[in-house]
Amino acid sequence: MGKIILAKNLSISYDRAKIISSSSFSVENGDFVFLTGVSGSGKTTVIKTLYGEIKPSSGDLYIGEFNLSKISKSKISLLRRHLGIVFQDFKLIPEWSILKNVTLPLLIAGIEKNIAEDLAIQYLSKVNLSHKADKFPEELSGGEQQRAAIARATIHNPVMILADEPISGLDEYSASLVMDLFKKANEKGITIIIASHSIPKHFNINFKQLHIEKGKIYELA
Amino acid sequence: MNSLKSHITLILALISIMLSIFLFRIFSGILYKYQQNITDNYSIVIVSSSKIKSLPLKEIKKIEPIDINNEIKKLKQKYKNIDFSNIKMPYFYKLRLNILPSPDELSSIQKKLKSFSFVKKIMTKSNSQTKIYNLLMLLKIVTKTFMILIAVLGFLLILKQLEVWKLLHNERMYIMELFGAPFWFRGAALFKIAFLDSIIALIFTFVIVYFIINSALYINIINELNIDFKVDFIKEFFILILVSFLISFISSILVIIGKK
Repeated sequence: MGKIILAKNLSISYDRAKIISSSSFSVENGDFVFLTGVSGSGKTTVIKTLYGEIKPSSGDLYIGEFNLSKISKSKISLLRRHLGIVFQDFKLIPEWSILKNVTLPLLIAGIEKNIAEDLAIQYLSKVNLSHKADKFPEELSGGEQQRAAIARATIHNPVMILADEPISGLDEYSASLVMDLFKKANEKGITIIIASHSIPKHFNINFKQLHIEKGKIYELA
Repeated sequence: MNSLKSHITLILALISIMLSIFLFRIFSGILYKYQQNITDNYSIVIVSSSKIKSLPLKEIKKIEPIDINNEIKKLKQKYKNIDFSNIKMPYFYKLRLNILPSPDELSSIQKKLKSFSFVKKIMTKSNSQTKIYNLLMLLKIVTKTFMILIAVLGFLLILKQLEVWKLLHNERMYIMELFGAPFWFRGAALFKIAFLDSIIALIFTFVIVYFIINSALYINIINELNIDFKVDFIKEFFILILVSFLISFISSILVIIGKK
């Protein structure tokens, strides 16, 4: 299996405030992880640190071979091309169609537009959105936008998906559809890290829980 | 509508900058030709007691002897009772200069010439051409100031446009960056806009330039000044296209780098 995330004495500060102090944890390749904690505990900060938006203030944080404590800007771009990121506010490009949004990681990887679009159609049908491929994000509901965002996050076969509160704000039906998509991605071997204030009810899959409390990250059984 | 507005702002700014550069270059070119014309026609006449082949003055380009035989013939016919063969005639020379001298430079040259014992008389002219030239020099300074002002205003317009572009493209570029898009990929849309606007601005500028160059006023001025001045359209095209592309691409890069 091997470790995909390894944190040693990791501390993270944001806006001069210490959010995480001297925490160590690891995540195995293919794990399904919930990063939990109350609002304001630092879940989003940890997710942002994992995709290189925030630099650790001390300690080491490895994602595969990348040490995020010493990573250069160009390497961050390289790392992100191997990740899939899902946001609470979806972060779809408003002036692009859903189809074009989903092709984004492939276009960045230099794949031809026609091939990328064919693949995007397949991924949109997996999330039951192929009929809305030509629509723009504002024409879709929150649940649909999140499903499109998941299609975008998985289309390039990332090694890990980082999701920041992906189901908060969604109705129960949409939330369960979104969680199913994460499960399917995990079944394909993709490591999933979901930041959420709680673990969804009736979630029948083996998962690992990293819990943030009082600035420390704990691995719960 | 907003998108159209943002295009028009950049296009107008580029046109104003390109026109000011073009007009300044044309004006300088005309003045240079006119100055050359006056300089070529300007000369100092000296009367010397001995023959001169050269003079150690850096301002002198050429020494041309003046043929006075015709004048002597006329004098002989007029004053038949005078025996001209006994009179030693002085030598007359036209001194062509490298520069069109200012009043100060002219008095300095005169002073140097007077220092030669064989130079008996110096005749200079301060003609109307020099006055026109001085007037044109004044016009050049005024035009230069005016054109710098236009160019500065153009740049200010572009800076304003950068703010609009930042607002318009910030979100998209940020999302692309989150997915690891390289610099050129994030800026592709901006570069496309910049390229398109540069081409449009260039076309408009050349249409305006064409009308200026073919206007009766412009043709009259060139004829009045009696100079052979032609606009090298290919050279001007490359200078303006370079200016236009540079400004718009630097603007795009500033937006991408300055992304919040």
